[in-house]
Amino acid sequence: MIGCLMLLVLVAGVVLTPVLSPHDPFALDFASAVQPPSLTHWFGTDNFGRDIFARVMAGAVYDLRLALVCVFGPMMVGIGVGLVAGYYGGTIDRFLMRITDIVWAFPFYVLVLAIVGVLGPSESNLYIAFFLVNWIGYARIVRGETLVVGRLEYIEAARVLRFSDGRVMGRHILPNTVTPALVYSMSDVVLTVQAVAALSFFGLGVQPPAPEWGLLIVESIDYLREAPWMTIFPGLAIAWVGVAFSLVGEGLAATLKPKG
Amino acid sequence: MRRAIKAFALASCLALAGPAVAQAEPIRVAIGYDPVSLDPIATSDNGSIWTQLLLYDTLMRPDRTGEKLEPGLAESWSVSEDGLTLSFKLREAKFSDGTPVTAEDVEFSIRRAASEASSWGRFFRPITDFEIVNDREIVMKLDEPFTPAFNNLALFSAAILPKAKVEAGEEAFFNNPVGSGPFMLKEWVRGSRVVLAPNPHYWQSGKPSADGAVLEVVTEASARVIKLEAGEVHVVLDPPLNQLEALDEKEGISVGSTMPYRADFVMLNNKREPFDNDKVRQALNLAIDKEALIKGVLYGAGTVAASAMPVMAYADKDLQPYPYDVARARELMAEAGYPDGFSAEILVDSGKAGHRNVAIAIQAMLQAINVKLDIQMLEGGTQWETTKAGNYDMALSYTTSDTVDPDQIIGFVAVNPERANAYHTEWKSERLNDLYKQERVTPNGEERGEMFREMVQILHEGAPYIYLYHPSAAWAALDNVEGFSILPTSNFRLEDVSIEN
Repeated sequence: MIGCLMLLVLVAGVVLTPVLSPHDPFALDFASAVQPPSLTHWFGTDNFGRDIFARVMAGAVYDLRLALVCVFGPMMVGIGVGLVAGYYGGTIDRFLMRITDIVWAFPFYVLVLAIVGVLGPSESNLYIAFFLVNWIGYARIVRGETLVVGRLEYIEAARVLRFSDGRVMGRHILPNTVTPALVYSMSDVVLTVQAVAALSFFGLGVQPPAPEWGLLIVESIDYLREAPWMTIFPGLAIAWVGVAFSLVGEGLAATLKPKG
Repeated sequence: MRRAIKAFALASCLALAGPAVAQAEPIRVAIGYDPVSLDPIATSDNGSIWTQLLLYDTLMRPDRTGEKLEPGLAESWSVSEDGLTLSFKLREAKFSDGTPVTAEDVEFSIRRAASEASSWGRFFRPITDFEIVNDREIVMKLDEPFTPAFNNLALFSAAILPKAKVEAGEEAFFNNPVGSGPFMLKEWVRGSRVVLAPNPHYWQSGKPSADGAVLEVVTEASARVIKLEAGEVHVVLDPPLNQLEALDEKEGISVGSTMPYRADFVMLNNKREPFDNDKVRQALNLAIDKEALIKGVLYGAGTVAASAMPVMAYADKDLQPYPYDVARARELMAEAGYPDGFSAEILVDSGKAGHRNVAIAIQAMLQAINVKLDIQMLEGGTQWETTKAGNYDMALSYTTSDTVDPDQIIGFVAVNPERANAYHTEWKSERLNDLYKQERVTPNGEERGEMFREMVQILHEGAPYIYLYHPSAAWAALDNVEGFSILPTSNFRLEDVSIEN
């Protein structure tokens, strides 16, 4: 509940920014550079005189878009792969699972860094990198669940009724296997927001002057002591999203837990 | 008895004084660059060059004013009337292993610098023959006059190395090099620090003043400053410009700066549309508010640039930079057929916080003429490779002169093909190329100066770059550090630096 509320506040902030704090997040104004938080500039201004509140809110669009697409996109792929592998078993299963083993064997950041390194840093290449890596967890979770559910009587019954494989997987197995994947995805969003920010921090993600949070932080480094608000607010935004999604995940787990 | 007491007292004093002397500290300098290699013919990055200049000597070197050459290993030198014979008299100097520096080492080192393996070969190939008169006298022969010859011999790449040691194995040698400079390498931890011990055989007696030196590699500028404030280092190079004022006010720390021979600019790929159009390139120059950049990004530490040439010998002090004139820029864009502007990508070295800020400001400024820039941050080495391959629209970069004669930089930024196809812009001016050829055979003097001024004028008007600024180079040091400064050639000398206790 609290998690949802926190996300709602953020979304409301993003939507209402033009009304609440009508500053252009990109316009330079050297005359009002490095000002502390005030009524006009709620989070202060940066070294170019850009309003940090406007930038953090505009950054939310980048970070949430990246995080959600990079989690739920690969989640679809992973669920599909996991279902197929768990349902058919045999060679298909072995083949798909060996692929997940290979990807799984690399530390997450090493693999993402390698992919971004080869393709070059940009937002679209971040999508590619995360799509190539993030589906693995879901495939494994859903495959495991499918193996369990696939042996239950009602699935046997569905098969005896000669329902098509697609129907059995989609209508009968999927609803009973997707819960753990959904819960996992919430913590995955948290990790992905951090990963996106970290990659941008190292210059491998979103490119300036986009107000992506990791970029806001790296741009603030030289001003850390003189203008700490440049670092603190984007940092808080990352923490905010992290806590919010963690709470949502916990809530989901509690709600969706099989009762009885 | 009394005498004995006196003697005892004296002895104790000496004993007390003894350790204090032995405790003389090495000078610790925090730098932002990690040296890549200590082989002078294979490097062009500042971290490597600066370290090499502490380890090796050249025959002559740029002096502290950056206006002329002063003796290095050569005590004296002269050129014959016809300009074809250069004679050098070496001083009595020794390498750090105690072996003397001989004319044979000089011939070997310069031949090596001119070899195919050298990335600086062009600078020395005009020297076609060597004649060793005796151990301390050598003559170099040219086929035709070459005015920058002495200047080029003062480049780091012409460092004098011990022939026998290098021939015994280059790879091993450059991991543990021996030179005749003020310091010798004690330890080199890549990515972390270079530890230097004083060269006991150094030819300037009584130097180096400090008991060795440590170059600490700290890539983050703010982290360097924090180290200085904590007293972990004595000097930091390139502190963040926004922190200079506050730093100078801090007790026990002072800030200094020099105007080095440096120019910052945006390279334009003159082979690509729309940068193949002079009017577009001029419009871009007019649309940038250079003064605002200097104020907003450099915090005032710089001057507006009129070309890609640093302001050095033979510079035309009257050459005016492109004014900031958006209206005229719009007109030129319309005349060139781009009234609605265009989109382009600008490459920026991700290791340079200052340049990232410049790119952000340029991007905002160019919106006024409907030019939409995408900033692409790249690792420095990748940026060089990408621009070299001609695979770019625009790239933010700079050049620094390692020496006092403008021949080095004009050959790099303006002559095509010569060294780098006019620094990868592929811009070409036949007139400028001719002048460059002439300048190199014209003796120093007004006539040669006139040629340089014309070349810079052509470069200014041709605008293969967006000319930005000449930044100053800053450092901050603890108050007990004596004698540190950055030279106009961007490097620093440590043999004269001492730490007072």
